[in-house]
Amino acid sequence: MKWVRIKAFAISYVKAFFRDKASAFWTVAWPLLILILTAYVFIPPSFGKPTTLKVGVVNKDVSSVASFNGTSFVEMLKTLEYNGTKLFNVIVYDNETSLMENLNKGKLDVGMVIPKGFGLNLTYGQALLKVYVSGESTYDLQVNRVIISEFIHGFSREVAVRKLEMMKKYILERISKNVTINTPHGIITLREMAWNFILSIVVPINASIHNVAPKAVMDRPYLLGWYALGAIGMLLLYSGFNIGATTVVEEKEKGRLYRILSTPATEVDMLIGKTIGGLIVLSLSSLIIIVAAITIVHARISWDPFRLVDWLVPLHFLLISLMCIGIGFILSLVAKTVSGASSISTILGLMLAFITGVWFPKSWLPKGLKVLADISPITWSLDVIRDIMIRRATLTEVALPTLKCIIITLMIFLLGVIAYRKAIRKYIEA
Amino acid sequence: MVGKDIKVSMIIFSGIFIMNKTEHAIDVINVWKKYGDIVALRGVSITVNEGEIVSLLGPNGAGKTTLISIIVGILRPTKGRVLIYGLDPKNPKARSMIGFCPQEPALNDNLTGRENMMFYARLYGIDGIEAKKRINELLEVVGLSDDADRLVRRYSGGMKRRLSLAITLIPNPKILVLDEPTLGMDPNIRRNIWNIIKEVRKEGKSVLLATHYMEEADELSDRVYIMHEGRIIAEGTPEQLKEIYGPPSVIEIELYRTVDKIEEELRDALGNSIIVKEKLIRAHSRAPDMDVPRVVSCIYKAGGEIKSLKVTKPTLEDVFLKLTGRRLEE
Repeated sequence: MKWVRIKAFAISYVKAFFRDKASAFWTVAWPLLILILTAYVFIPPSFGKPTTLKVGVVNKDVSSVASFNGTSFVEMLKTLEYNGTKLFNVIVYDNETSLMENLNKGKLDVGMVIPKGFGLNLTYGQALLKVYVSGESTYDLQVNRVIISEFIHGFSREVAVRKLEMMKKYILERISKNVTINTPHGIITLREMAWNFILSIVVPINASIHNVAPKAVMDRPYLLGWYALGAIGMLLLYSGFNIGATTVVEEKEKGRLYRILSTPATEVDMLIGKTIGGLIVLSLSSLIIIVAAITIVHARISWDPFRLVDWLVPLHFLLISLMCIGIGFILSLVAKTVSGASSISTILGLMLAFITGVWFPKSWLPKGLKVLADISPITWSLDVIRDIMIRRATLTEVALPTLKCIIITLMIFLLGVIAYRKAIRKYIEA
Repeated sequence: MVGKDIKVSMIIFSGIFIMNKTEHAIDVINVWKKYGDIVALRGVSITVNEGEIVSLLGPNGAGKTTLISIIVGILRPTKGRVLIYGLDPKNPKARSMIGFCPQEPALNDNLTGRENMMFYARLYGIDGIEAKKRINELLEVVGLSDDADRLVRRYSGGMKRRLSLAITLIPNPKILVLDEPTLGMDPNIRRNIWNIIKEVRKEGKSVLLATHYMEEADELSDRVYIMHEGRIIAEGTPEQLKEIYGPPSVIEIELYRTVDKIEEELRDALGNSIIVKEKLIRAHSRAPDMDVPRVVSCIYKAGGEIKSLKVTKPTLEDVFLKLTGRRLEE
């Protein structure tokens, strides 16, 4: 084994790899493409912001009998905002027919018909409001329904509380302060007890709801960071398989194997040289994806060189690459041609990326596939990377999984080396 | 008695002396190779001396490539052994002495000519300035200096062959093993490569050349081994082979156009070996003065028209036909 020979294999491999358009496409362009598509189609920049509903309104309450009428309600709808985003995009219609027509055509998410006396009834009694919900899909319909119902219930509750305050001011204040009553909470005034009781009718449960989900699922940049690592995992899978599977068969097919083996270079030189070349290719491609993810889709991927645990990230990338190249060597036993080896690698790599929690989160997978994801060592390593880079896991948390990954990588690569030597024998004797 | 002992000692001594003195560049000793039930080589023995060009002449499937693969250390023989200057071909020292040019150019299409050469230079342990210097010299020799930095996928077939030959010369090998180096090349490129091989021989290198082109073997070789069905069936200089195994004369005829079944007609008429290559006919003859009129008459009867006719000496192809009853290209 001589370094200059290993260097020969590694350098020529890297140069030839990036000059081959198909290899460059699958290793760099495809993962980038799928990441950009995900960022702008499935997780668009509007992700996490409130949805703006298109609301069509027919307002029949334009009288000025009450200080608040249908027109005031429409104006309020137009100005409502949440975190700087308008909640409703309001279009006013003259009649119900054209409103219904546009709802049926799917041009509107919600339709409202404000009847005559709406404002007056809201002030002095119970106001009626006709609401129609539409949607391009069942999912949209459900979302639109939840949003508009939430708004109307919230608005009703606010109106009720205001009315209650008026009632307190003009009715409850008239009850004498001296009248007391014995309750389980102690002796309180009748006025106080009446107020509490009526308030509980309007708002029986005063719940406070807070979002506490991990930042990764709340925040688009973090979510994109998750997918960027998934894209790298995907490319390591099929490119790693491909590198391993084509190592020998390519040399055989192009007629170079005999010439190489007639030189003082050994099978081991070729194995080490090509593996190093493959690792350089995979590292460069991964780096390109990370840079593109940060600069183009604005993904958040944290890596702190001063944090010891963060140095396990490159180690795990190396382990995944070695595992995939090792599996590729095993695949080379069944591949007879370069195109055959590439097809097997790409199909298997893409399939595993989608069904073992590399691209889609494990929680999305059906039960059977979840088991597959749980036993896939490639997913173990990728999970450790995600834990460190996204959830900022500590060294103690990832130490054991890392050890497991190192052991399994060594085993897979060893099997791969045995397969590689068999493949060489097979092709030489063919 | 003493005198007899001295004589014996002298014989032994001179034998050892001769063995050392005549150590062959390549020694193939009773080599057999089997692939399952298929026997590719059946007890092949050949030698190549230092500074000699030796050809292995035989049709496709004769076992030439298998024999060469064993000589360069890619394959192990099932039986027998091969020595490269007395060393096993698997020995890295032996490998460094051999420059192997396979049938296919065996280049990486996504690298430039220079990068391909650098790759192989490194495999032979040559790197840096030394490698660059050697590569530039060899590119000059094969006339590829101007195209050295172009990707090989843009090279013509002839350029690839020349580059392949240049790669063979990188380690400055003592032995060149060339497996059909001009296969499928046009006559100009073939001659170009022959000239390079002749130049190499002038430097004292040994060349083992596997070919099924008899002109190539005839033009280049000091000695020729004729291979057929995994065996060596004849050995000697081209002249010796022609003299021993070839017919006394050959009637060479060129027709204006091809004629159906002319080979069978002539064979029936002459009872001798016949080679027909489209419009060219070579008929073996012991008595050309008697055979020429019969040949002419037979061709006219078959509807052929003769463009030229001459009586020549036999070639190696005639030797092969005589020995095997088959043509080299069959």
